[in-house]
Amino acid sequence: MARLASPDTETAAKTPATRRRGELSNLQFALVVTVPVLVFLVLVIAYPLGYALNLSFHDIRFFGGYSATWVGLENYADVLSDERFWNGFLLTVRFTVETVLLTLGIGMALALVVRDLPPRWRWLRALIILPWAVSPYGAGIFFAYLGRGQTGVGTALANALGFDTSINFITQDLVVEFLALGAAWNMAPLVAFFLLANMLTTPPRLYDLAKLDRMSRFETFLYVTLPPLRFTLFVFTCIITVLSIKTFDYIFTATQGGPGSASSVLTYVLYRTSFQNLDLGYGAAMSFYLLALILISTGIIFFTWGRREARR
Amino acid sequence: MTKTRGGFSRGFTRRSFMATGSAALLGSTALGSGLFSGGLAYAQDFDLMATSGEPVYFRGWQFRTDVVQSNVDAYNERMNGNVDYATVTGDYPSLMETTLIANGDLDVLYANPSSAVRYMGGGWVMPAAELPNGQEIADSMYDNIREAWSVNGQLLGLSYFVSVRGTLLANLQRLDEAGFGDNPLPTTWDQLYETIYALHEAGVETPFLPHWFAEWFGISWGFLFEVMNRGGQVADAETHQPMMTVDGPAGATLEAWKRLWNSGLVPEEVLSYNEAAYIDAFRSGRYVFSPQQIYDIKTFNDPAQSADVAGHISLLPGTEQSWGLIDSAMYLMTSRDRPDALTDDVMRFTSWYGYKDENGDFAVANRWLEENMLFSAYRPVMESDAAREAIQSSVARPEDYDTVLEVYARTPYPKGVWNVVWSEEFNVWLREKLFSFLQDDLPVAEVIEEANAEITRLNERYGI
Repeated sequence: MARLASPDTETAAKTPATRRRGELSNLQFALVVTVPVLVFLVLVIAYPLGYALNLSFHDIRFFGGYSATWVGLENYADVLSDERFWNGFLLTVRFTVETVLLTLGIGMALALVVRDLPPRWRWLRALIILPWAVSPYGAGIFFAYLGRGQTGVGTALANALGFDTSINFITQDLVVEFLALGAAWNMAPLVAFFLLANMLTTPPRLYDLAKLDRMSRFETFLYVTLPPLRFTLFVFTCIITVLSIKTFDYIFTATQGGPGSASSVLTYVLYRTSFQNLDLGYGAAMSFYLLALILISTGIIFFTWGRREARR
Repeated sequence: MTKTRGGFSRGFTRRSFMATGSAALLGSTALGSGLFSGGLAYAQDFDLMATSGEPVYFRGWQFRTDVVQSNVDAYNERMNGNVDYATVTGDYPSLMETTLIANGDLDVLYANPSSAVRYMGGGWVMPAAELPNGQEIADSMYDNIREAWSVNGQLLGLSYFVSVRGTLLANLQRLDEAGFGDNPLPTTWDQLYETIYALHEAGVETPFLPHWFAEWFGISWGFLFEVMNRGGQVADAETHQPMMTVDGPAGATLEAWKRLWNSGLVPEEVLSYNEAAYIDAFRSGRYVFSPQQIYDIKTFNDPAQSADVAGHISLLPGTEQSWGLIDSAMYLMTSRDRPDALTDDVMRFTSWYGYKDENGDFAVANRWLEENMLFSAYRPVMESDAAREAIQSSVARPEDYDTVLEVYARTPYPKGVWNVVWSEEFNVWLREKLFSFLQDDLPVAEVIEEANAEITRLNERYGI
């Protein structure tokens, strides 16, 4: 004989099912979470990107009445034969590589120094972040003064050592390296902060074991300190690469792309094309090459380094 | 709103003009009968009191912002104004241009004539000729300045300043120290270069600070004025066709530059100076000669600002040739989309600030002249006793007063490359090419050929 369930039991049995029907499925939950973000991204990224893409297929003129003439891929082809573009491209690569290396190097050095500070000096850890708080605009003005022979640190040092000479770092040969140093000064504190946070999570017993194994300081750094930092270093390599490629305001205030065009990186060439010459279609086409440079650079870093770190 | 092709109100609205006329009549009657001692807002032929209550956005570059703010405060207080003044830092012409294109909050702005012509070409500015007192303002100006500031016979803006950029200044103390104190000062560019090399042979390490700095008015303007001072033109004033030749003034200028650069007398850092660094370099006393703004004679001879050179800075005479070029700036009114009442306030403020105040005085122009030796386009300002006193108090030697007027009177204006819509583009191109000429040792003939070709290309692009 089949047992009849009591009304209470029946209600109790139905309740979870009813609750499940009111709950969101995984897909629904995912859509609720992501759709607003996607809409936001479409508004703030896709629309201007699409607008710029449309501009890049036109010859835009403001004078004698606004006009936009369809030119197809002509702007893209012209960019590839533009000497200013290639000069800016090479300067951008040079500036980016140097900035990334300097930023990671200085950041690592700073992190190591402040990690080993005696307790009464640990308040200095808070101070190292200060350069990062300076805006790129401010950093540009600051480094322009530091670099010039007239007002700069080179001349001051030479004079302090008894030499009556002027040392100028803003020269055709040195300006990119000097700018990379300034950019690294600006960004390295952030790297140092994150690396320091990582270092402090390394168990101290690993250092004790390294001592037992009679490892040198360099070996200890290589086999104990560095391994947990590798993923952070990879992330910051990507971030600094992107930031360096799109740096504009810092270089504009420091050197105005000079002396001459010695520091006219791609963003500076773009600025001149789009905002000084008002050649918006050509500038938009050039900006897509800049975007491609960013994507390819970060892609190379990911495929050669990031995937390996992710698998570890 | 009264809209036109350019998107602006053509003069005052009829209603406001009638109200103004009536008020002016009442005001003058009241003044005449002695019954009303206030309301001097009618000293010009229209009411300068603001009425809309809306903000008037006034933007300029950074020069004596304290003076500008104080003038604006005076207008706001006395004329019931609501003028919002701020400065724009960076590449001023480009930033203004993008603001104008975006129809941003901008009503009155500073502009050099070349920028003003370009903005006019974009239909973004309202010519000064459309002010109710536009004709009176134009008639008060020197003819050459009015012509330089006009397009198709329409005056574009009101006078901010008129100066000579490239006035050749000399540090008399350094000349004395080098044993050149008794020699007459050079009167031509060729004589100047000869003196520079002679000074160097006499042991002066940096005898010359050329106009080769990085600003948009730096090296490219230096080339323009040297070519004109030597009697040449970069482009024709009317047709805008290129006029440079290798064996003419342009070629001579570049040859002189190449020799100077290759001699190593000019530190490379000059190429990266902004204007402040350029001025600082000359007032440090290291240099003997340098082309500078004529109004900076006051800066250099002021012990409070230039302790190392004050009282020793004179200028080369303009007896045989001109020095520098006319560097000037206007107050422009934009033609952005806004209510008529606000446009009327824009006109009131511009007229008060750029011409005469409610008492009929050139208050702002006179103040600039007295405090900074900024010359004006208005004849009554420049021919006043106050102008004489301002200039005399700024020069190192009494005879320099006449030299200042002599140089000022002869200074040319590069109409061929400035009063044309492609002016800013050519300026950017020229700046880059001249830097490359020096740093990459390009041949003179190649640079001149490319410069002429660039002008031709721009003329074709804009259908000129």
